[in-house]
Formats: sequence, C-alpha cells, structure tokens
Amino acid sequence: MLESIIAYGLATGAVYAMIGVTYNVMFSASRVFSFTAGVLGMLGGVLGSLFILRLHLPAALGFVATLAAGALVGIVTEIVTVRPVLKSLDQHLYVLSTLAFALLIQQFTAIEWSTEPQPFPRLLPLPGGPLDQQFWLPILACAATIIGLELLYRRTLVGRAFLAIAEDSYAARALGLPEQRLRMASYALAGAIGALAGFAGGEVLLAFFANAPMLNFYGFVPVALGGMGSNRGAAIGGLALGLFQQAANFLVGGIFASVAVFAVFIVVLLARPEGLAGAGTARRV
Amino acid sequence: MDAPAPPRAPFGVTEPALVRPKSMATLEMAAPYIGLTLAAICLPLVSDDYWGGIATRACVYWVLVSGLNLVVGFAGQIAIGWVALLTLGAYTASVLTAGTATPELSPYLALILAGSAGAIFGVIVGLPALRLRTFYFAMTTLGFATIVTQVALAWGSVTGGGVGVAGPIFPGPFSTQWGFYYFCLILAALCTWMTANIAASRFGRGLIAIRDAEVAAEACGIAKPVLLMTVFLFSGAAAGVAGGLFASLQSYITPDAFTFDLSVLFFIAILIGGRGSILGPLLGTIILTVLPEFSAPLVAWSTFLYAALLLLIVLAIPGGIAELLDYKNRRPLERHREIVPRPDLLPRVLNRTIEAGPLILDGITLSFGGVRAIDALDLELRPGEVHGLIGPNGSGKTTTLNVISGYYPPQAGVARLNGIALPPGAAPLRASRRIARTFQTPRLIGGASVLQNVMIGGTIDGHGSFAESLLALPRHWRDETRLREAALSALSVVGLAQLGAVRADRLQHSELRFIEIARALMLRPAFLLLDEPAAGLSAEEIRRLGALIVAISHHGTGVLLVEHHADLIFDICDRITVLNLGRVLAVGTPAEIRSHREVVSAYLGA
Amino acid sequence: MPITRRSVLTGAAAGATWFAAGLPRPATAESEPIRIGFLPALTGPSSSTGIAMNRGTILAVDEINAAGGIGGRKIELITRDTQSDPTKAVNGATELTRRQKVNVVWGPLNSGEALAATPLIARDGVPQLDPCWVDTLTDPKKYPLAFRNAPTNHQIGGAANRYAVEVLKLKKVAVIGDTTGYGTASVDTYVPMLGQIGADVVYHGETDASNPDLKPELLRMRDAGAEAIMPWSVNAGFLSRIINTRGEMGWDVPIIGQTTLGSGQTKALLAKPEYWEKVYANNFRNCCYDQSGKLSPHMTDFVDRLRAAKIEIGDTLLWWIAIGYDAPNIIAAAIKGAGSAPEQIAGYWSTLKDWPGLYGDITWTPEQHDGFPNDEVVMCQANSLRDGAFKLAPGYGA
Repeated sequence: MLESIIAYGLATGAVYAMIGVTYNVMFSASRVFSFTAGVLGMLGGVLGSLFILRLHLPAALGFVATLAAGALVGIVTEIVTVRPVLKSLDQHLYVLSTLAFALLIQQFTAIEWSTEPQPFPRLLPLPGGPLDQQFWLPILACAATIIGLELLYRRTLVGRAFLAIAEDSYAARALGLPEQRLRMASYALAGAIGALAGFAGGEVLLAFFANAPMLNFYGFVPVALGGMGSNRGAAIGGLALGLFQQAANFLVGGIFASVAVFAVFIVVLLARPEGLAGAGTARRV
Repeated sequence: MDAPAPPRAPFGVTEPALVRPKSMATLEMAAPYIGLTLAAICLPLVSDDYWGGIATRACVYWVLVSGLNLVVGFAGQIAIGWVALLTLGAYTASVLTAGTATPELSPYLALILAGSAGAIFGVIVGLPALRLRTFYFAMTTLGFATIVTQVALAWGSVTGGGVGVAGPIFPGPFSTQWGFYYFCLILAALCTWMTANIAASRFGRGLIAIRDAEVAAEACGIAKPVLLMTVFLFSGAAAGVAGGLFASLQSYITPDAFTFDLSVLFFIAILIGGRGSILGPLLGTIILTVLPEFSAPLVAWSTFLYAALLLLIVLAIPGGIAELLDYKNRRPLERHREIVPRPDLLPRVLNRTIEAGPLILDGITLSFGGVRAIDALDLELRPGEVHGLIGPNGSGKTTTLNVISGYYPPQAGVARLNGIALPPGAAPLRASRRIARTFQTPRLIGGASVLQNVMIGGTIDGHGSFAESLLALPRHWRDETRLREAALSALSVVGLAQLGAVRADRLQHSELRFIEIARALMLRPAFLLLDEPAAGLSAEEIRRLGALIVAISHHGTGVLLVEHHADLIFDICDRITVLNLGRVLAVGTPAEIRSHREVVSAYLGA
Repeated sequence: MPITRRSVLTGAAAGATWFAAGLPRPATAESEPIRIGFLPALTGPSSSTGIAMNRGTILAVDEINAAGGIGGRKIELITRDTQSDPTKAVNGATELTRRQKVNVVWGPLNSGEALAATPLIARDGVPQLDPCWVDTLTDPKKYPLAFRNAPTNHQIGGAANRYAVEVLKLKKVAVIGDTTGYGTASVDTYVPMLGQIGADVVYHGETDASNPDLKPELLRMRDAGAEAIMPWSVNAGFLSRIINTRGEMGWDVPIIGQTTLGSGQTKALLAKPEYWEKVYANNFRNCCYDQSGKLSPHMTDFVDRLRAAKIEIGDTLLWWIAIGYDAPNIIAAAIKGAGSAPEQIAGYWSTLKDWPGLYGDITWTPEQHDGFPNDEVVMCQANSLRDGAFKLAPGYGA
C-alpha cells in the first residue's frame, strides 16, 4: 500500500505543483490570480488526447502542439481578461473576468469534447510496473519546470526582466522595459507550463473536462501554503498535498478524503493567511 | 435636473433644488418594484403552468440572491461557493419534514430551522473573509461547497446519501402550483424589501465603504468584523430558507442537484445586475433563470451563456444592469464648476462644545522593517489651533498622521487625548474619540453618490441596529433623516450641496478633496487631520480652502495640517512642526520657523 | 413591498379562474398527433443509457409513422435532454406535461432524475413509462399512472448475487457503487440480499465516479479477502477503471455486476483487452446468444433492421437499444387498444399480459406495475461482446 500512496501521491502532487507554478508565473507578471490555471491543466490532457489519439499525430508532435496551444490560451487570457482590467481602478474585477473566461473554455470542452473522462495515450513504448511512466513523467516534468524557471530568472536577461516587472512595474517601464510584451510572454509561458502539467499527468488524470475546477483548487493549495510567487514553495506544497490526499484516500476512503483536504486547507489558511512561507504585508495606507 | 444653482445660495436654504424632495425620490425608486410586483401577481392570468414553474424558481433563487447580494455586491466578498448554503437549507428542511433524524416537523417549522441553520453556517463560511484576501476567500467558499455535498453523500442514514430525500410539501393553499408560487413570491418580495432597506441605511453604505474604501471606512469608525459577520448571518439565513423552498420545488433532492453551475448562476446574477444595487441583481436573477428556457438547445449551453455575459459585463459595463438603468448619472454636468465653500454655515454642522484637551504624541517611534520612519517624535496639538506639519519627502509626515489615526501601532511612545491613551493600531476606534481625517489621495466610493459618501462619515452617530434597519422601524428612519440633513449641511459648508446626487467618480479631483472634508466634518471632530489637502488645487481653491480651515479651527476643532504648499502653511497656521528624517527639527510660530537656520537649510532653501 | 388587499384579491381571482378551467387535458381529437414526451440524458456523466435508448426510440417512432401512425394519428416525439441533472429533469418534465401537454412520458432514464420527476408527472395526471431500476419508483397507490417496463433493483441484484454465490460458489464478496442515486441505492439493497443467501460482504462502499485512482479501494477489498468484486454504476469510466486496476494488480477474481460492464464504451476505455476476461454482467435473455451462438429470430431481424438504418450498435449495449425500441411500441399498443386518454392508457397497461417486447415480455397487473419477468434476467460474459449482444456466462443455467 505504501508504494501506491507514494507513487500516486507524488505523481498527482507534481501536477498540482506545476499548476501552482502556473498561478505564480501569472501572478508575478500581473499581480493577478487567474482562474484559468486549472483550465490550462485540463486542456493539456484533453488536447494531448485529441492530437494523439483522435488525430493520430505522433506523440512528440502532439506534445509540442499541446504546449503551443497552452501558450496561445495564455496569451488570449492576458489580452482579453487581464489587460483591460488592470487599467481600471477596481482591481478585483480580474477575479470575475478570468473566472468567466475559464468557465467559457470549460463548458465548451464539456459540450464539444465529452462530459466523460476520455483515455489518454500511452506516451512512451515502455512496459508498465510499479515505476510506470504515469508516475515519473509528471515528476520529471515538474522538476524540469522548476529548474528551468530558476535558470530563466537567474541567468537570462529575459528572466530578469520578468522579475523586474514583477517587483515594480513603473520602475521597469521607466527603464525602458516593454512591460506589455513581457507580461504577454509571461502568460504564454504560464500557459505552456499549465498545458505541460496536464499533458505529463494525462495518464493518471485522463482527458476530463472536470479536471479544470479540480486543478483550480488543488493547484491553488500549494500556492496558498507555499506563499505567492514562490515556486519552490509551490513544489513542496504540491507534493505534500498529493501525498496527504493519497494517504487520506487509503486510510479513510474517497468521500472523507476530499473533506479532509479541504478542511486542512481552510484551517491552515486561517492560521497563516500568508502561507507557511509567509510573505510580509505591504503598506496599506 | 442638473440646472445650475446660483453660486451663492441664499442663506437658509436647506434643500437645494438638485436633490429631490424625499417623497418624489422614494416614488421614483419604488416604481420598478411596483411594476414587477404587479406583473408577478398577474402572471397566472397570462401564462401557463410551465412558466409558473419557472417564475417560482426565479422567486426561490432571488430569495438566496438577495441575501448573497449584500455579501457579494455590497461587501465585495467573492463568495463563489454559496450553493453550500442552499444545499444545507434544502437538506435541513427535507430531513426535518421527512423524519429521518427527528420526529416529523411541520414544513413551516422546518423552513424556519433551515433558515437558522443557514444563518449559523453562513457565519462559519464567512469567517475566513476577515483574515484572507479575496481570491483565497473565494477558494475557501468552494471548499465549503464541496464539503457540504460530500457530507450529504456520506451521511446516508439521514440524508439518504446518493438516493436523496423527498422535499417538504407545504400544506393548505400552498400545495398547489400557483399557491406555492404565491408563497415564494411573498417571501421574495419580503427579501427585496428588507435588503432595499439595508441598502438605504448606514449598514448598506458601510458595506460599500468596506468594499471600495476600506481605509477610509475605518477612519469613519466602521468596524469591518461585526458588520461583515452580521451580513453573512442574514445572507446565510436567506439562503437556508431558499434551500427549503428549492427542495419543495424540486419535490426530491439528491446531492447531484446542487451543482457548481448553480453557484455560478447566483454569483453572476449579482454581477450582471451591478454591485451596490438591489434592482439590478433582481433583474439579473430573473433574466438568468428565464433565458435558457426560451429554447431547449440553449439549456445545454446555459452556463456557457452566463459566463459569456459575465465577461461582457466585466469588460464593457462593469456597473452591470444598474449602470445601464442609471440614466440620472448620464446627464452631463455643468462644465466650469466652481467650488465655493460657505464657512458661515459651519455652526449648523459643528454645533457642539469641545471639552477635549490637547492631543499629545509622546516619544513615538515607528520602523518599517529596517527603516526608522519616525524617531522619538513629540507633538502637541491644541484645540482650536491650526498646526502645520511640514518637512521634506520621506520625513515621516504621513506616517505621523497614520499613527495618530491608529493604522500603525508605534514601537515606542504613546499618543494621548485628554490624558487618555489612544489604543495603538485600532483605527476604527478613533471616530468615537472625534478624531477625523482626510487622505493623501482621496478615498471615496466612486460608484456611490456624493451625498452617500458624506453620510458615511456620520455612521457611528446612528442609533438603530441592523435588525431595525432590516424592518424599517422608526429609529432607522430617524437615523436616516438626521444623517441626511447633517450631510447636506456639511456639503453646503464645502459648497458642493448641488452635486449631492451625482456619482462621485464623475467629479474633478479638487471636488473630491472637499467632499472628503465634508465627510470628516460629519464627525463634528475635536481634531481634524488633513493630509496634503491642497495637492492638485488651483490657487483660488487653495485660498478658499485656507479660509475654511481657519473657520473650522475657530469653532474649536484642532487641525493638524500636513502640507507642501509653504504659502498656505505660513498663512493660516498658528504653530508649525518641522520634521526631518523622522525627527522633529523645530517647533514654533510661522515667523520663528521661517527664520530658523536649520529649517531653512534642510527644507526651505535660501 | 407591502401586499395590498387589492393585489391579494387580484391574485385570488386569477387562481380561481385557473381552478375553474380545470386541469389541462392532452389532445384526444381524432386527427391530432400523439405526443410522447421523452426525457433521456443525452449529455453528462450518465448519458450512456440515454444515447443508446434514444436510437431505439427514434427508430420505433419512425417505423410506426411510416406505417401510417396509430389509427391514422402520427407520433410526435418531444425530447428534452436532462443532461444527467435532476434539476433539468424536473424542468423538462414540467415543460412536457404542462406546456407541451404530452399524452405520455417515456423516462427519465436515470434513477436520480426519475426520483425527482416521477412525483411531478404523477401530480399532473400523465401516464409514465420508466426503465429505471430503483425500487421506489413504482407504487400503484401513490403513482397509479406510472409503469416500469424493466426489472427492479431487486431482480437485477438477485440474479448477480445468485451467480456469485450459487453458481461460482464464492463466499466473500466486495460490493462497490458510485455516488449517484443509482449506485448508492444498489449497494444499500444488495448488501443485505447477499447476507440472506449466505454470502459474507467483506467490503462495501461508494466512490465518486470520476475519481481517477481506484487502487486504494481495490487494495482494501483484497486485504479484506474478497473473492469477487461486484460493481454497480452506469458510468463506463468508473467501471473501466475498476477493470483496469484489477488487471494492473494482477488480482485474479471475477467481476460480477452492472450491465454497463459489457458495453462498447467500457471496452474502449480498457488498457488491455485481456483485462476484460472474467467479467460477468447483467443482461437479458432476449439479447443474448444461445448455445449455437445465435440470437432469437425476432432479435436477429431487429439487428438487421438496425444495420439497414445504419444505427451504431458496436459502441453500446443491444438491450438498451431494444428497450428504447419497445417503449413507443408498448405506448402505441395501449393507444390502439384503448385510447389516448390517461385512464385509458393506464387501464390497458394494468391488464397487460406477456406483451412480446424485443427486450422482454411485459406483464402488468393493477397491483404490480413492475413488468419484467424474473427468469429473463441473466448473466453474460462481457468479453463475448459482438454487435451489442453477449454469450451467457459460463456455468449459467439454460
């Protein structure tokens, strides 16, 4: 039993962590929490299944196409739901615009794709077993994402530009950084990461439209617990969540497991509203 | 309606023509509701039973949405998962009438208990709102929605689990389809009336203040926790009752009837209707319930449609239907408006005696992280004096104001009024000590009228409770009348009474500054803290501002004036404190300060 | 808003007028079409039955109309997709009975929806034909106009339980359902029934059908010593995941349970074809191959007609299509034999004996509105699926 808890727990946890990273990348670029993070994960699975199983594209091509589609959805999110809202005075409108957009995509997928979980293709022609690809693919993808982002932010100019607009967008603009284009690029990156999460986790989560609200929530928990903007916190939080969820599944069974997860989430948030990593509060007045 | 009043209104006019007499305004506001009620009552005459069922559903949904409207539309809390309370109410009412856990109860009693359960659970769901920011709170409500559904599934012996349980049937005349329709209609009308009463009360205005100008709300003494929890209590009760009605309408409930789509419908109805409005969300609920029924294929796409509508509203008409219906605020305003304060009208506003002693800051030290913003600051503000506070940028002027106002607790030192210490870090308590202030950037509610904004300043002087406002009892009306008159007087003082009905976000920057002063005057303050009130004003406006401040001080109020406009400071101040790098550089009369060597070199220049 | 006396009187007058007009009556004039209201779930998690039954129903209506209708009156099929949602089922049922004023309602086809809609259809005095298995749906006293042309949960579970305990001679059994009304009701009904025939239920519970990971549940079953898994759900994804997990675990126990175990949709979701071995599903004698591998002549003819009409059978179950086909025919029989008024239809049905349906022979009495015969419920072998029909399970009596 223990191996099953660890295997499934780390695999789903890695997917949750990557969705958390998606939230973080979008938040860093715009100070906006977007409801589209979970939808991107769902699309990763659905489009992967669509391209490879239904349209019979080779797995590698389907992979690239899925990431590209995710990036595209990210860009559209920025243009349609974030940019117009940032200009207005009421910051909280972004919650509504991203929610509306996420619902549109979700409902469209439900009606046009299917309301049932559809099979996800087997990506690598390797035999199964306890170390099956469905377990290590998401973990590998998660590790690659975290390391890749660290390298991007620390070593490349573009990455440092991303950090600059996250820190202080006015100063960045004064320095001549193209804030709008950088934000769009950030959202495209976030879209690709979300799609990667869904694609890598497809064999475990299947191609299912209802993954969107599920990932929205379970992908947010690592961000809430690990602190906004912290990718390492999201990684640790996601893996911990995955393990906790699987352990609860085994010990108390399906129904109570989700109640347990939600209850713990709410309690932890109330105790530490800024997350366990704890960011400082900004000046209010 | 915006016919310009003459620049100098004759003394003694209390009701400028541009703010309508109360009776006409009430009739105009009530007209749409009367129309809707008549249409609803006559529905059986003109339509068939099918539409009756849809209309009943709209009434039931509105009972829930009217309460949720106070939470989402007025208080601005993103409670997306509110279907949890509908589920709770539905199961409570059904289980109590079915007798699976208790002896069978009468449906009416079950409905009341469903409302009570909803009230308690509403507070529980709402509690995180006090600690968490918006998105996080939204997520917790989603968590609650899932928890309630899962509990309903798991607790099979009581709720029937996946099989579900039959809904209550109301006896007598309400057991027929149209009878039940009228029952729901009566409850819906009651909820409309109650929430409309709250909207037009200091509680409704307080909620909007928390939503859009929380910092200013605290300065006016509005305590967020109590108000928010009261609203969650009421909203939960409404949702619980709606749940019981829903179960009766469905005749049989299973956990899978309480979908996320339903929650989204409630939430979107409020936003499409427009925040801060009652009529808007009412129309929104009716539209969203009825719209998919017009064509069968539309039913499958209904949530898609709702989401598209929401996106459209957010991007194009953030104010929703209410904004569309607000034709009053689309009439153009007079172009070259002058602000002409009437300091001679101050006695009507500041009719009180000040027994307060001085406001004394004693050794205040405050650091932000590693930066020491103010260092061992001593300040004495006497009643009736105009005390200037000047210094270079970053010298700690605004921080000093914020410590006095109670936004930041100092690390060392005490602030005292009349010898009694001001509780550090407790901003809402300042209003009752009659300390009022304005802000560096005007913090007003753009979507509310000027008059409403100013009335918020007098919130703590209301005596009626939330329940009295809910039911429009006499004390509520007395409070409202008094607040209204006081606000009009305050606006007359600053010369803006003719703009009382205009939405605040249509006005110029300088007008907003004076409105903030009017709002502060509502407290009949013993001490008035002004944070750069002249910024952005023209020379003539600055002169008039100065005269107003002087007049206010002559009525006994001690004014602490933070400013960069040296002329204004030296013209009107009795004493001046100069700060530099968080420390007091000098204190004295304007003449002394002007010639003080260090002040000149640090700040004033040669 | 205060309710004035005038508005109350107006409302009361309106109500009185409505009462005086009486209950709405469907069209009974000679030339008016027969309106059949249909409430399938064509989308949503429980749509596999609806989609399949829809095919059969549409074929039957087309055939009847092509042959001139019922006594010269054409059938008008008015369909409302419930989307597997009880709220929409209620709305749809209300629309059919009150607005469309249908002569009879066929459906809803899922238990949770039927539980909500049946009382409302009964209240409006419209005859109802329903294929759901949940026991409480028929009640000749409460719902005198509602008839079931399918077996009850008791009959279905009884057959499966008998196969596990008496034919395969297993003692320790695990029973699992999904969290829908059907799944929960089935588990609640079957666990005591198993106890009564001497089995030992070592595990029972319900899981959300969309849960991707059923390994914890199966591991718990194995740890408890289960010798058979009995799943009850119409959700192909859920059932396929049980089958796949059993295969991945290499756990060699039979799976005995709900008919959807054998559907083409379940087959499509299997990770490996060999996982489908030792899976036995409910089915119905008419829709199974006999010893020589052939269907009954009537059924063979039906399958040929389906192929000619290019109706897909490979991805679903034949008996769903068959029962969908039977419904308009049994309605037509009542209207032809007695008339289209509600009491006429109900009266005809309540004395129906051995009506030869494709799906099964239906018998109703005034006290018994469940019309499917016990001995026609059988167990079949899932991986013998061919054209939507199956071979009987091994060891199963003739």
